[in-house]
Amino acid sequence: MPFQDHKPIPRKEKITVQTMIDQMRDQVKIDIRPLTAEKQCQDNYIIETDLHRPGLALAGYIDLFTWQRIQIIGNTECSYLKQLNEEQQQKAFQNIVEFDVPVIILTDNNSLPGPLLKIAEKSNVPVCSTDLPTTSFMFHLRDYLEDQFALQTMVHGAMVDVYGIGILIAGKSGIGKSEVALDLLKRGHRLIADDVVMLSKKSNVLMSSATEMNKHFMEIRGLGIIDIMSMFGIRSIRYQKRLEVVLNLKLWEESKTIERTGLDHDSVRILGIDIPLIHLPITPGKNITVIAEVIAMNYLLEHYGYDAAKAFQNKVKKHIEEKSRGGEMPRRAIEYFEGDVE
Amino acid sequence: MLNEEGLHARPSATLVKEASKFDSDFYIDMRGYRVNGKSILGVMTLAAEHGAEVELIVDGSDENEAMKTLVKLFESRFEMAQ
Repeated sequence: MPFQDHKPIPRKEKITVQTMIDQMRDQVKIDIRPLTAEKQCQDNYIIETDLHRPGLALAGYIDLFTWQRIQIIGNTECSYLKQLNEEQQQKAFQNIVEFDVPVIILTDNNSLPGPLLKIAEKSNVPVCSTDLPTTSFMFHLRDYLEDQFALQTMVHGAMVDVYGIGILIAGKSGIGKSEVALDLLKRGHRLIADDVVMLSKKSNVLMSSATEMNKHFMEIRGLGIIDIMSMFGIRSIRYQKRLEVVLNLKLWEESKTIERTGLDHDSVRILGIDIPLIHLPITPGKNITVIAEVIAMNYLLEHYGYDAAKAFQNKVKKHIEEKSRGGEMPRRAIEYFEGDVE
Repeated sequence: MLNEEGLHARPSATLVKEASKFDSDFYIDMRGYRVNGKSILGVMTLAAEHGAEVELIVDGSDENEAMKTLVKLFESRFEMAQ
């Protein structure tokens, strides 16, 4: 079994509020404008994926208040504050900012009364605002944070996008993973990473990418290190691709019990996600590249609802049934030959 | 990591070449990042600097012999002229 002991690599522990704001703007295209205590954004850290709406804390109940999370103040919280008098407002707001809250974000273009912003400034709690409605903003921000704090692992293999299907070619050192990947590139498919593949868990999907170091280099034994992007051009590489199939290359003698029908599916568990696994014995005269393409196309067919193995199985079953009712042995696939003369 | 220049291309090549002579699987773990020690790109991805601590994991039929050889290689600073 490939990658039997792939531990996750150490998780990122924290990011600064400023990093979050910058990346939300540049990558996710969502503007978060600092209203007060902007400088503090550099020093405050986000350590959790979860977000919190501090309604109860505003109302005075601060037991179990998860102050270390990003605090989202939406329409409900704002209208609650609005119906209080000035003194009550400040008291309510004080409940939140007396903790070391990393950042408070106002959604839906809401704003806080001036005195409250001053209190936040004095307590060194940055307050920001965004135009997006609360639910939509929280969805995007959570997605971003989940990615930042994602579980990651490094596996050994060659990751290639074949017809849009992410295939990880695995197998022992020297079995020819890179050579198969190179052949696939030559046929117009795209390389994500060779030798060191970083996998990040995002919801129930594993996303693959290269590392900062090995993108988009490849080692071909006997030749050394080559640069795929400068050799084959930009169309031959990809930065990220979902991992969909693992193709495990094996020598013939270690693979005597190999799947023949395709009715049973093996899988490998990586970071808690099961990925379809295909064991492929290497024998003389076998073109692994073409088989990799066929695997991708078969996966696509299955994805679109056609499973060749099942279709064939149904055909066999139907024939057995007919035979038991007095049917014949298989006939040729054509009733009448017209002849093929020129 | 004893050699001054860290684990750059040449020592990596020496290491990978030696490791590949053995049947056993060979992994290098550095700060929780584990790479295949028989892959030159893998080893260089670690970019282990002088003074870095790495853990060698050898698993297979000739693991004892392999471990001895590999440790010696690290101790001899990959037999490179410094």
